[in-house]
Amino acid sequence: MTTLLTVEDLRVTFPTRQGPSEVVRGVGFTLGRERLGIVGESGSGKSQTGRAILGLTPPPGKATAKVLDFDGIDLRAASAATWRRLRGARMSMVMQDPKFSLNPVMTIGKQLMEALKFGAGETRAQARARALAMLEAVQIRDPERVFRAYPHELSGGMGQRAMIAMMLVTEPDLLIADEPTSALDVTVQVEVLRILDRLVRERGMGLIFISHDLRLVSSFCDRVLVMYAGRVVEELKAADLGKAQHPYTRGLMNCLPKIEGGVRPLPTLERDAAWAR
Amino acid sequence: MGEVMLSVEALDVTFRRGGDTVRAVRGVGFDVARGESFGIVGESGSGKSTVLRAICGLAPTSGGTIRLKGQPLPDPRPATFFRAVQMVFQDPYASLHPRHTVDRVLSEPLAIHGFDRREERIEGALRDVGLGPSFRFRYPHQLSGGQRQRVAVARALILEPEVLLLDEPTSALDASIQAEVLNLLDRLRAERGLTYVMVSHDLAVVAHMCDRLIVMQHGAAVEELTRAALSAHRAATDYTKKLLSASEGFTPA
Repeated sequence: MTTLLTVEDLRVTFPTRQGPSEVVRGVGFTLGRERLGIVGESGSGKSQTGRAILGLTPPPGKATAKVLDFDGIDLRAASAATWRRLRGARMSMVMQDPKFSLNPVMTIGKQLMEALKFGAGETRAQARARALAMLEAVQIRDPERVFRAYPHELSGGMGQRAMIAMMLVTEPDLLIADEPTSALDVTVQVEVLRILDRLVRERGMGLIFISHDLRLVSSFCDRVLVMYAGRVVEELKAADLGKAQHPYTRGLMNCLPKIEGGVRPLPTLERDAAWAR
Repeated sequence: MGEVMLSVEALDVTFRRGGDTVRAVRGVGFDVARGESFGIVGESGSGKSTVLRAICGLAPTSGGTIRLKGQPLPDPRPATFFRAVQMVFQDPYASLHPRHTVDRVLSEPLAIHGFDRREERIEGALRDVGLGPSFRFRYPHQLSGGQRQRVAVARALILEPEVLLLDEPTSALDASIQAEVLNLLDRLRAERGLTYVMVSHDLAVVAHMCDRLIVMQHGAAVEELTRAALSAHRAATDYTKKLLSASEGFTPA
């Protein structure tokens, strides 16, 4: 398997009144053309890890790393021009909620075309055809209508699919999906995952899937990183999640209620200060 | 079934705006016995929250009757209704006043309903939901999500209601915090013989918490199930089957 992304000792720090606060503390992993899941609770640093890879750590935060290498390009020293060439075209990100990440005053079509504008010398008509084809690929039944629609005219599931289309129309090598299905209904969620799954298998895309939903990640990803307090506490194959060693991972698994019925009261998670060290 | 606490019969809720009409709830009916925990499951837009809001008198009912202990409810709801029925909302980040302390959140309902021994009741309510007296003079921004939801539960319980309407009480919380809040709700129901009506999109949460449930789609109840039937995946309608399989996580097509 070819390595697409190498991350070593990634740290993200935000200045606070009490001094610098490190929210990601030495995360490292490699990604091939596979589906990697990052799970953790809110505040575990999983989203900041995803953003730092794209160089999108919000100021005044600072991201540093020993190695941050994307397909032979050192991202730590990347210039603004390099980022412009990479972001969108070769690596992109799907955010959690389409309501907040689509431009409300631009039609979906216009936003899709904007993503294609920096592409290699296509005519408008070619770009448009490609955009429409992409909308169809994400299972939007009436792409012409959605192309003309504004974000508020679409349902949550449609908006999220439109956003995925926008991120994928440039055929990136790496997609970072930050809770891409958390705002969606379960039945729509499965459809969106199918789309992502197909893209990984057919186009050999690398996917980083960030989620708080351990059950979902274990059924969808190949490999899982479990994060706690800014660190990776455990890395395992998704299929082996049942055999997790770390008490945090096991606690997260056990505290989920089950349809088949389980114990009551539900086991709760006893946090150990040593996990954060 | 024992004594019927809450009964909803052929409930219709229609929203009108301009020339548009939206029939959000269409002929939904169910009975909830005293001490029972009843669930309403559905996807967004299925009308499940609107049913709860209609019970509280927060949504315009255009048909059907809602009875509490056999008595049809007048419109607007009288103060005695809110003594008996209280609601916990989905998002504790939005449902607590950002500039009111926990003490103020808890003392307001007591003042409205003319309760005595307020000091004692506030401290008792905080203790019941697992928060110490040190939380009493904090503002919501000084609390975590789980602590906020505990305050919201304390606010609802401080009037000693018999029925608690729970609108997605844990969907804004992390899994580990969700377990704590569900355990809290479970314990309070057992201790006080409360009746719950719980709305959720999460089948596993409803299966854990509720004895019986209905599944809603497009404003109508498509199926009624017992917990045992749900656990055994014995669903009669295609829609419920689809929900069940989607809840299992991702399966390659």
